[in-house]
Amino acid sequence: MKKMKFLLTVSIILVIFTLAACSNGEEKEEKSADKEGSGEKTTLKVAALESAYGTEMWENVVKSYEEVNPNVEVDLQMEKNLEEVVRPNMQAGDYPDVLLLATNREEALTETLIKEDGVENITDVFDMQVPGEETKVNEKLLEGFTDTLATNPYADGETYLAPMFYSPTGLFYNAGLFEEKGWEVPKTWDEMWELGDKAKEEGISLFTYPTSNYFDTLLGSMLYAAGGADFYSSAMTYEDGIWESEEATKALETVEKLAGYVHPNTVANANPNDFTKNQQLVLDNKALFMPNGNWVVDEMKEAPRAENFAWGMTSIPAFEDDGDRYAFTFFEQIWIPKDAKNKDVAKDFIAYMYSDEAADTFLEAGAVQPIEGITEQLDGQKQTFYSIYDEEGVLPAMGTFASTKPVPGANMGDTLYGSIDSVISGDMTFKEWQEKIEEVSDKLRPALN
Amino acid sequence: MSKTRSRNLFIGLCVAPALILLIVFMFMPTFEVFRMSLYRWGGFSNTQQFVGLDNFKLLWNDMTFIRSFQNSIFLIVVVAIVTFSFAVFFAAILTKENVKGGNFFRIIFYIPNILSIVVIAGIFSAVYDPSSGLLNSILGIFSLENLQQMWLGDQKIVIYSLAAALIWQAIGYYMVMYMSSMAGIPPSFYEAASLEGASKIKQFTSITLPLVWNNIRTTLTFFIISTINLSFLLVKAMTGGGPDGSTEVFLSYMYDQAYGNSTFGYGMAIGVIVFLFSFLLAAIVSRITKRDVLEY
Repeated sequence: MKKMKFLLTVSIILVIFTLAACSNGEEKEEKSADKEGSGEKTTLKVAALESAYGTEMWENVVKSYEEVNPNVEVDLQMEKNLEEVVRPNMQAGDYPDVLLLATNREEALTETLIKEDGVENITDVFDMQVPGEETKVNEKLLEGFTDTLATNPYADGETYLAPMFYSPTGLFYNAGLFEEKGWEVPKTWDEMWELGDKAKEEGISLFTYPTSNYFDTLLGSMLYAAGGADFYSSAMTYEDGIWESEEATKALETVEKLAGYVHPNTVANANPNDFTKNQQLVLDNKALFMPNGNWVVDEMKEAPRAENFAWGMTSIPAFEDDGDRYAFTFFEQIWIPKDAKNKDVAKDFIAYMYSDEAADTFLEAGAVQPIEGITEQLDGQKQTFYSIYDEEGVLPAMGTFASTKPVPGANMGDTLYGSIDSVISGDMTFKEWQEKIEEVSDKLRPALN
Repeated sequence: MSKTRSRNLFIGLCVAPALILLIVFMFMPTFEVFRMSLYRWGGFSNTQQFVGLDNFKLLWNDMTFIRSFQNSIFLIVVVAIVTFSFAVFFAAILTKENVKGGNFFRIIFYIPNILSIVVIAGIFSAVYDPSSGLLNSILGIFSLENLQQMWLGDQKIVIYSLAAALIWQAIGYYMVMYMSSMAGIPPSFYEAASLEGASKIKQFTSITLPLVWNNIRTTLTFFIISTINLSFLLVKAMTGGGPDGSTEVFLSYMYDQAYGNSTFGYGMAIGVIVFLFSFLLAAIVSRITKRDVLEY
């Protein structure tokens, strides 16, 4: 008994020593951080997702920002798996000041912070002057980019996330094949089905998709086409019965009808490991269309392709003749966590993102920001993708679901897009799908922020 | 200081580092998982709302969770039984029979175990490819086109495809484990048995199996733990839980809820269920397989 007691005491003392040692270290660190803060230079912690655009552009932009604002030293962190790296630090209270991390990613870090009221309101950034320039931010920004649920997640007119790199999405196809066969790119779904039958005779499927998640832009455009912008935002704010409305039914039914035209291998390859095989189907002339964004061009750069292959992109077809057609605009966001230490400098940094110098640096790496006149600086293939809205009857679509408090077990993305695999493979009818969506929508409505 | 006291001090000092590490890195996080399962929390904010057992009540009615649970149990049972049978069979043949190139086979069987699970996902996605995959091509060669399947696309089949990859990966490891304990059985037992006229099968069931029983019991627990862990990794790397959640296992669903759906507390509730389930299952299995240890 005595022995046990003794052992216990010794270990408790040791535990206390260890913990004390830990906390001492923290105090020291904090002190040194304070010193830096009160000194001349502020350290701004910027965390950016390392994407296909590479790291160099960020390094250059940071350098030029430090020249414009010599009082600031930027500590740049770039990772491909940014969420996994910053999450533990953030949970320990060590927040980056600025994050470039889009919504709709698997780990949903941005969404989590939005849902938990952890993102700083940056509406005033858009009235700020761009550092080193005479103009204000919102004079440079393209119209409409700060009016969407992707930037104003609480639908209250306040902006929490600033739009950064954008790319139009749509249906990608082999323009060379269309020329060779003398086919027209369909403008309505009726023309689409007609083309589908024609292609079937030649052994080509009408449609494929990389993974069911790629339906976020396709289905979004269909909802816009079916009921316009107001209808879309009602659906995104979980209005009661909206998914059983005539407009939504039209869109969901079209997906079910599409199932008959999808390449048979699609569902088997619609997973994170094999989705490029589905994209390859278009390159090999085995399927005509797939929903995608212009990043696919770089993604499939090295892939073998059919002769005369040329990328083409079109908007999502309209439901009736002369109806509006939409092409969804996808963009990444930059934002400030509420617990960031240097919010003012962070806002200044975000404003700088829209300066001519920064925009040029980003553009050089292929990243396009929603800034007036930027599409004129693009060349070749990029220009054709970004000028999709110049086509007659094609309108831009933007947005995402409104933010709700977290609801256990109710995930709109999984229900709305994930179930598409079942609809396409025939395991689920569109009616069952519709019921499921409405059920989740009912669960999320009371949790709206 | 008396001799026993200084001895005790020495023991205490030696044990303390490991004890501290155990408490800080094992007990405290586990306790945290249990505590967090009683809260509604997204993972970052300071607003942790205590909800009692609400998360568990929700779980009870969450069909996706129940489906992922079914998938996990299915994988545990199928992978354990099939891997076990193959591993014991091959181990018995390689140790007892004079197979030509026995060592070569041992290495071949063991190789999958060295591979990372991501590599295995890559290999099997090539095997299962609908048009150019190994499996469908072989079926094509033998004119068995009607047996060709969408191995990763058909919701009724895809879970078997996953199980096959897990079994392929595990056989070598368990085979080597069984072989090491089978090699320890004195050959005289078999000589005596064959003199008495016992067939090979009789020898296997009456000598080999009882003498490696303790080893088998240990591996049964390994089957449970490793299938739970590896099925999560394989699902993440190969199918992403799809098509439409048909390969979701409980750990991948937990990850999905804790991060993807911003319901960290709910995810931890799933964690608690997984923790209790695997503990309980291992305890039951170990209890019902308990036999007197045979000495030789």
